[in-house]
Amino acid sequence: MTADAVAPTVFLVDDDRSVLKAQARLLREHGFQTALFESAEDFLTQYDASVPGCLVLDVNLPGLDGLALQRRLAEVGPSLPIVFLTGVGDIPKSVQAIKAGAVDFLTKPVAGATFLAAVRAAVAQDALARLATDDDATLRQRHASLSAREREVLAGLAAGKLNKQIAGELGIAEATVKFHRAHLMDHMRADTVAELMYLAARLKL
Amino acid sequence: MLAVLDDISRFLSAPLWLTLACLLMMVTPPAQAATPRNVLVLYSHGRLLPANIECDRGLAEAFATRPDLAVVASAEFLDNPRFTGEAYERAFVSYLHEKYAAHPPEVIITAADEALDFMLRHRAALFAKVPIVHLAVSSTKLLSLSPLPPNVVGTPLVFDVVNTVEQALRWHPAADRLVIVTGAGPWDRVWEARLRDKSAGLPQGLAIDFLTGLPVAGLQQRLRDLPADSIVFTPGFFLDGDGREFVPRDATQLIAAASSAPVYGPFSTLIGTGIVGGHMASYAAMGRLGAQTAITLLDGASPASLDLPATMPAPLHVDWRQLQRWGISPRTVPPDAIVHFKEPTLWEGYRREVLSAITVMLLQAGLIVALFLERRRRRRTAAALTQSEEHMRLAANAANLSTWVLDCSAVPAAGTDTAFRQSGHGFAALLDFRETLAHVHPQDRDVVDKVLRDALATHEEFEVEYRVAAPDGEWRWQSARGRADLAPAPRLLGVATDITQRKRADIQAEQDRNAIHHMSRVSLLGQLSASIAHQLSQPLASILGNAEAAQKMLEREPVDLSELREICADIVAEDHRAAQVIRRLGVLFKRGEPSFEPLDVNDLVRDTIEFTRTMLTSRHVTLRTQLATALPAVSGDRVQLQQLVLNLIVNATDAMADLTEAERILTISTSVHADAVSLCVADQGPGITTSALGKLFEPFWTTKANGMGMGLAICRSIADVHRGNLAAANAPGGGAVFCARLPVLAST
Repeated sequence: MTADAVAPTVFLVDDDRSVLKAQARLLREHGFQTALFESAEDFLTQYDASVPGCLVLDVNLPGLDGLALQRRLAEVGPSLPIVFLTGVGDIPKSVQAIKAGAVDFLTKPVAGATFLAAVRAAVAQDALARLATDDDATLRQRHASLSAREREVLAGLAAGKLNKQIAGELGIAEATVKFHRAHLMDHMRADTVAELMYLAARLKL
Repeated sequence: MLAVLDDISRFLSAPLWLTLACLLMMVTPPAQAATPRNVLVLYSHGRLLPANIECDRGLAEAFATRPDLAVVASAEFLDNPRFTGEAYERAFVSYLHEKYAAHPPEVIITAADEALDFMLRHRAALFAKVPIVHLAVSSTKLLSLSPLPPNVVGTPLVFDVVNTVEQALRWHPAADRLVIVTGAGPWDRVWEARLRDKSAGLPQGLAIDFLTGLPVAGLQQRLRDLPADSIVFTPGFFLDGDGREFVPRDATQLIAAASSAPVYGPFSTLIGTGIVGGHMASYAAMGRLGAQTAITLLDGASPASLDLPATMPAPLHVDWRQLQRWGISPRTVPPDAIVHFKEPTLWEGYRREVLSAITVMLLQAGLIVALFLERRRRRRTAAALTQSEEHMRLAANAANLSTWVLDCSAVPAAGTDTAFRQSGHGFAALLDFRETLAHVHPQDRDVVDKVLRDALATHEEFEVEYRVAAPDGEWRWQSARGRADLAPAPRLLGVATDITQRKRADIQAEQDRNAIHHMSRVSLLGQLSASIAHQLSQPLASILGNAEAAQKMLEREPVDLSELREICADIVAEDHRAAQVIRRLGVLFKRGEPSFEPLDVNDLVRDTIEFTRTMLTSRHVTLRTQLATALPAVSGDRVQLQQLVLNLIVNATDAMADLTEAERILTISTSVHADAVSLCVADQGPGITTSALGKLFEPFWTTKANGMGMGLAICRSIADVHRGNLAAANAPGGGAVFCARLPVLAST
């Protein structure tokens, strides 16, 4: 990651402070920004929609509970992807949550790997959604900011060529291709090759 | 002997006699010293004649009635008819003259004809002026002698032959023959003449035969051969046909012995010889009358002034044995008859003894009757007692009762038997029937000891329950009920009932209740399982997150140690939190005896709320608590009271299911009122309908679709066990409110 890249923020809502704290620690260790809220109401008042990331939401909350918050956010517009956490497996609620677009519905205590995978998936979904909402001018501006060699590599990738093939055609080392690719994905704000492919398509490369 | 006395009297000189007489007069009372009054009694016949003996007895009796006269009666016997003749009479006169010269009689009594004749004949020579009292002289004889000198007096004898024969004829109505027996002597001839004379006055038609002067053997033969329907009359005789001498009594005995017919006679002395009887004067009576006449004369009365009976009474004398012999009914004996030889009846002969015997027998009979009645009464009483005891026994058996008496005369003062009690023999010291109550369970001894002492002190009835060791070693429950009884000695009376079954039932019921409470708790916890799981998963989630974060941190250099320490501290804290949840849960799942301890109701409420917090959150119920500060402690079982509060919270939550989330407010409040702590759970639900209010606490009554209806019943039973109560009401602002009141623990 580069310094200018904006790290996605994981918004955590749980009425149990100690649970919040532990989850935040784990997420930060894995490179996520975290924002902690002890109630749905707190989250709603402090939430900045422009910040990318995802929402980790406890189902059982005093006052506005998890599912209610999900509904509330949906009413406002496209929302952060939500990973639900619950103390007790509640099938009706999990079905309701998934139908309403939740990324995942996990039962506490959840293994770190499972939790992180769900958070990553949610963050990726958010990034993709945000890409979709960026305008073409911004995209072209980002494309223009690439070096010539980077644009060549991007074109090769967009054409579906392998790194090895691109290296052969450009007469450079395959490692150099990889280096350029990481750099240009960063500039294009694409976290995954899939996102990059999506952007290349938008730019009609 | 007499010669010796004569010698002595001659030896003693006259002056000495006088002196002696004077001495005697000085030492003897004057009455005794009166001059002896001499009376001469002259009998016609011999000394051994029964008539004379009788007569003498009568005289002696009569003279004995006047000891003051000091009568000295001297008896002389003419011994007629054995001794007669002029020479004899001269000698006899001379004898009397000489004999009585020194002691001349003042009165002369003559018995029978010959004596009177003799005295009249020799009066000039013998005691000329001395009055003569004659007795046993027949009136016929007196007539021949009259006129008698004025100082010759007496009561004549009448031989009432006619009356005697008439009486005999009344007894022997068939008799048609009278046989008269006399002897051959002069006296006998006088009697024969007298009787021939009298026979003219006898009833007509009665044949009269004279058997006179016969020899005894011939006479007896004649008498044996007497025709039937004869009667015999005899005065006896002195001489028989063979010249044998008899006294009339002996002669009569021979006659009566031989006679085949009943014999009658004229003399009372003949009674007993075998004659039936007759009208006859008694010789004893004649003696008595003669003596009395003499006494009157000795007293100084003049013979002319005497008022003597005209004749001697001649009552009817009867020999009882002869009445029997001749078949004469005693009823035909005239009442004035003198009956001889009557076998006295037992009553007559032994009246006193018979009376005593009858009395004794009556007493004995009475005693026997009394004893018998007493025995019967006792047997009845005993039977009644036995029956009563049997009833008691049946009743006692039916009621499982036993009766007991406790001797408390040696009860040690309270506290002084500590040593005994400590050594496990407290009751041995207190109770006399230690065999029974020394077996009281050690845990119950102090209680029983106190109750018994109180009962002795207050005299009030007591009741106490305790355990005793049965012979099989098992502990059996007993309930004893009784009261003190101070007379005659301090003791306690009462009955004991075996209540083991009841106690077992009680224990079983308690166990059942506990089991139901437990089941209900488990069921309640089932309803709260999501909430509980959530409470456990929170700390677990926290622990896991922290641990994995720490793992990740350790992959980096340098390790942020302060952060790592903080993570570890959090892990430990969360682990404690999870353990706490499990502990609380374990308490509620616990099954067992309730244990009472001082509790802070606020603490209890807070603890319980933790269970339900997640549930309340998930059901969007807002919980409000209004806990009073500084609540006094109550005595309670934590588990049961938590169960009660949990139940009320769940119920309140259920009651608000249909409300909007904002309306779902559950209020738990605590307060203190005097001696009770109040714990109320209020909801905002629809409240309790009037019909439901009455049945709310009944088991199996529910409004919930999947409810058992046990919750509130159990809550109330818990409140009861805590000596409190649980009440339901509708709150003024709407909704139901349930309040449990628990008594404040008495401050120690």
